[in-house]
Amino acid sequence: MELLDNLGLGFSVALSFQNLFYCFAGALLGTLIGVLPGLGPIATIAMLLPITFGLPPVSALIMLAGIYYGAQYGGSTTAILINLPGESSSVVTAIDGHQMAKQGKAGTALATAALGSFFAGTVATFLLALFAPPLAELALKFGPPEYFALMVLGLVASVTLASGSVVKALAMIVLGLLLGLSGQDIYTGVPRLTFNVDELADGFDFVALAMGMFGLSEIIRNLEDEHNRTLVAAKVKGLMLSKEDFKAIIGPVVRGTVLGSFLGILPGGGAMLSSFAAYSVEKKISKTPRRFGKGAIEGVAGPESANNAGAQTSFIPMLTLGIPSNPVMALMIGALIIQGITPGPNVVTDKPDLFWGVIASMWVGNFMLVLLNLPLIGLWVRLLTVPYHVMYPAIIAFCCIGVYSVNNNTFDVYTMALFGILGYALVKLDCEPAPLLLGFVIGPMLEEYLRRAMLISRGDPMVFVTRPISAILLLLAAIALVVVLLPSVQKGREEAFKE
Amino acid sequence: MFAKATRAACAVFRGIAAVPVVVVGIALASAGAHAQTFPSRPITVIVPFAAGGPTDTVARLVAESMTKTLGQQVIVENVGGAGGTRGAGQVAKATPDGYTLLLHHIGQATAPSLYRKLPYKVTDFETAGLITPVPMTLIAKPGFEPKTIADVITYVKANKEKVTYGNAGVGSASHLCGMLFMAATGTPLTTVPYQGTGPAMNDLVGGQIDLMCDQTTNTTGQIKGGKVKAYAVTTKDKVPSLPDLPTLQASGLKDFEVTIWHGLYAPKGTPADVVAKLNQALGVALDDPKVASRFADLGTEPEAKNRRSPEFHKQFLTDEVAKWKPVIEAAGVYAD
Amino acid sequence: MGFVRNPKDVISGLLFIAIALLFAWQSRELTIGSAMRMGPGYFPLVLSVVMGLLGLIVLINGLRYPGEAPSGFAWRALVILVGATLFFGFAMRPLGFLPTLAITVFASTLASTLFRPLTALAITAVMVVFCWGVFILGLGLPLPLLGPWLGGY
Repeated sequence: MELLDNLGLGFSVALSFQNLFYCFAGALLGTLIGVLPGLGPIATIAMLLPITFGLPPVSALIMLAGIYYGAQYGGSTTAILINLPGESSSVVTAIDGHQMAKQGKAGTALATAALGSFFAGTVATFLLALFAPPLAELALKFGPPEYFALMVLGLVASVTLASGSVVKALAMIVLGLLLGLSGQDIYTGVPRLTFNVDELADGFDFVALAMGMFGLSEIIRNLEDEHNRTLVAAKVKGLMLSKEDFKAIIGPVVRGTVLGSFLGILPGGGAMLSSFAAYSVEKKISKTPRRFGKGAIEGVAGPESANNAGAQTSFIPMLTLGIPSNPVMALMIGALIIQGITPGPNVVTDKPDLFWGVIASMWVGNFMLVLLNLPLIGLWVRLLTVPYHVMYPAIIAFCCIGVYSVNNNTFDVYTMALFGILGYALVKLDCEPAPLLLGFVIGPMLEEYLRRAMLISRGDPMVFVTRPISAILLLLAAIALVVVLLPSVQKGREEAFKE
Repeated sequence: MFAKATRAACAVFRGIAAVPVVVVGIALASAGAHAQTFPSRPITVIVPFAAGGPTDTVARLVAESMTKTLGQQVIVENVGGAGGTRGAGQVAKATPDGYTLLLHHIGQATAPSLYRKLPYKVTDFETAGLITPVPMTLIAKPGFEPKTIADVITYVKANKEKVTYGNAGVGSASHLCGMLFMAATGTPLTTVPYQGTGPAMNDLVGGQIDLMCDQTTNTTGQIKGGKVKAYAVTTKDKVPSLPDLPTLQASGLKDFEVTIWHGLYAPKGTPADVVAKLNQALGVALDDPKVASRFADLGTEPEAKNRRSPEFHKQFLTDEVAKWKPVIEAAGVYAD
Repeated sequence: MGFVRNPKDVISGLLFIAIALLFAWQSRELTIGSAMRMGPGYFPLVLSVVMGLLGLIVLINGLRYPGEAPSGFAWRALVILVGATLFFGFAMRPLGFLPTLAITVFASTLASTLFRPLTALAITAVMVVFCWGVFILGLGLPLPLLGPWLGGY
């Protein structure tokens, strides 16, 4: 019953008055800042990092974790309400979530996100408590070949994000991959695809790209026909979930949680893949895949659960091995180092109060997030009743400030303008932006892992099939490709016959 | 309906709208206050790397203490990108009044050799003092055969390109240490670059790559937790927090010494008395027992007293630029 | 336009091919390497070719199957909003945070056909106060309130 003792210790730390306060403060601040368009979890944590320096280490980490979930949830809120994903995981939420909002079901979408996240968070916390060390060992089995195979699978799956033409979706993914390669080649240090612009030495910035492709172009599109635009607010329906809604989301939430919990452990992009892996799965197993992209509640429930579960389990490599699995965890490690704690395998034994306190606080944090956000939903939905011509200048301003403040770089603001134009043109041509963004995130990793695998195997391509995990993943990718392409091949034939 | 709501809103906000006018007034007033003794307003220290990294940590510890000494807020601002050259370039172009400073590590000395199109020169800065030399450690995957550092050297010589060496990207600390190690042992290893220390450490602990050399800041946790094999430190003397590790110098690699040293810089043309005042405040920070104990947690210590003057820093910087030029040129890697 | 059956697809196809050519041209000086030892140019080149082929398929589809032409462009919004964003980037350093923000917000309001001067001024004022409170007071972002052109630093 060591586990119970440990959890007991954890909860005694997490439920102390002081830590409850910091947990709540973190979740609240995170939500409030994360909900501003353009400010995702990384930007939010980086901004708020200094205020935790004065706190004791446990409280600091608890507060940062709170900020992290809060910001992530806040990001989903903006994705649903105004179609502005501030980070890669909420790109997927925006697809169906915003459609729901347009149909007057913003409250339902937000409640689904909150409850799905809470369920996923609870499960992931217990997974963490029970299996953190063995899960971390499992993650270490993932070498470059396995990651490459995983990225290929992710790439194939991202085709399902589009509801229109498959060929166009593929072209958008490839465009994203190419844009993602811009910047310094990490193997040789050579700058490439930089168009001789010095500021592109590190490539395009994700936030700038997303704000342009989604934010700016969406606003321009909304201004096309203002007089005939039916107000979203006019048809806001109930805020809570109906019995049918509950039935519809149980499956997606559970599947999303499982996917997210597993993928979250994997450093370098695992957590990012989880939300759209969940989306692909839901769309594939749905009896009515055509509803996806047009406001399917499953398309919100699955990815939101997955991304929260992934956020939780991404703490595993950080807490057990001292290895950051994503930029957010790197910031957390920085916070620990500033507190005088060296993150590493010894934290569990040397600082059990910290380790278990943080784990227990994850559950507490998730609980607070629900408490905080269910009442706030009413407020967010009411925001939609603000006339659009009053609201969009504010969104533009927040996007500019958010994009600028990520790197204090004016070039990123120009990038946003450029992608606003490109995004608008592509939307007018029925090319959907979501696959492009995922290609953009995956592109550099795909190449990096492929080249690294070849380097380590000394140029032997057999490494991808002789290693079991990578072989299985590649097989899955091949199957997925067939499944994805099959309907479009058939459809093409049908259309050909029609003529 | 909208018009009515708007009119109501206007009435409410007409009062609030006065606020920016007041702000503008205050900002204008403070702009004319340059003549006062330094510092009369907050100082910005630019760290050319992301928040939360080792250099950022050093900067924040020092800034906290300097804030107390100077009586003005010393703010750390992270301007990451292009291996630290973006932030450095920004400071090089800043007004030389002591209110915009740069806190950079060894990269300040290696950038001129790594970047052929560097938009600034090392001489565009006034040196304001060295801060801390962070030691590096040579570590290997768990289960790596050699037992001692001497064995490692024989092993890499015998197996040459079969041994893989991981680094955190062009120009990173681990990249520099690796280049020097390969030059010293005369063995070109297969270099596997990563985006940062995190993923590289992950593959080392997972046994995907063989060797790595990185700052104690990044490796102490894994060494003490027994997740990696540690062989040696790269400093001249042993490192107090890792007493079991011999130095590379004592293990047959003559003159092998790398530390990730950190320094404070002001733009060229900053008045000498301002630089002196900053150097003095930096010295107070380095004598602060709290800073020293935090440095010890990171596996490092404040710069020795006789190495703290701006003059020493200037000479040291020149020497380091000269030391790394041939090593980088021999390796034939460039970052642009 | 007789043989262009689906203008949207034809334009997208041409756009994709153009972008593919642009990227292929950009990667012309990079080392290609081999499949075993890839140089920095390998991936960009392969992807450019794939992109070009996909563009070609989209183009051919557009010539074969009928579809609509894109219409209803919001030119006014496009020009004004892109301009406002570019202005923000351009003016942030020389003018400083508050004036830049105010002008950007006010200019953005002009993009709407429902523009009313008083509403626009009210939105501008609210945004300036709100952003000043949140980003400067609350989050302490290191943004200069007034830039050097206006006597700030």
